[in-house]
Amino acid sequence: MFITFALITLLGALGMLLQKNVIVAGLCMVATFFGVAGLFLLLANPVAAALQVIVYTGAIMVLVLFVIMMLNSHEEEKAQSTRPIQRWVSVVLLVLLAIGAVKLVMSSPGVKSLAASGAAMPQAMTLQKLGTALFADHLLGFEVAGLLLLAAMIGAVALTKRNL
Amino acid sequence: MTGMDAILQGGLQGYLVVALLLFALGLATVLLRRTLLLQFMGVELMLNAANVALLAFARFRGGDAQAMVFYLFIIAVAACEAAVGLALVIGLYRHRDSTDSDRAASLKQ
Repeated sequence: MFITFALITLLGALGMLLQKNVIVAGLCMVATFFGVAGLFLLLANPVAAALQVIVYTGAIMVLVLFVIMMLNSHEEEKAQSTRPIQRWVSVVLLVLLAIGAVKLVMSSPGVKSLAASGAAMPQAMTLQKLGTALFADHLLGFEVAGLLLLAAMIGAVALTKRNL
Repeated sequence: MTGMDAILQGGLQGYLVVALLLFALGLATVLLRRTLLLQFMGVELMLNAANVALLAFARFRGGDAQAMVFYLFIIAVAACEAAVGLALVIGLYRHRDSTDSDRAASLKQ
């Protein structure tokens, strides 16, 4: 089950990286988000899985696809200068980063002991636990997040309106 | 569970490896693609990779609710980023008739 969702996630991300058509890349991104939601379900966290589907695929990706269609830029434009050296350097450095980070995780004794001790604690995340933590310990942060969303909304309207 | 087993059967290492590879793919999208909208999606992918790692650690620490609070804040910031970022892309498209980040190399018209 885990490997299925992991493959959906990673293949979706790979498809987004390689896809020429921007809309198809966006749909690959939706597949990735669904895969991540499945991983959250396997982590005994149905709240996060629901939020992932509602916010990312339901709101953010719809907004992105809307903008893609509005700007009518389905294909990537031809490059003015291809810059092959920089592209290959970035690919090599990225592969090195990925291999190094994976090796570090696999060899870490702390992660290993946490994985062994944590597997015995199958505690599901519930909305009640989340609500208690959010409103008892992080009330100020919650209010600031609301203000930030309002500011972003006003900023987006101000940026897109031609003559305010 | 050790090594490959942990990755294949969904131990903590498996989730962390998925998160790391997802982050690398998101970074590759930002670096290698030139369409601003795709680069923006790459940033969202990197934020999601951080979420996967955060919630995996939370699960293996016994369902820690603090991680879930941080996940909510990350989602809120990602939504703000989506709104403002897409507004900027639209503004750039109005001025230059293109969503290619290479063509937005100067501040002048």
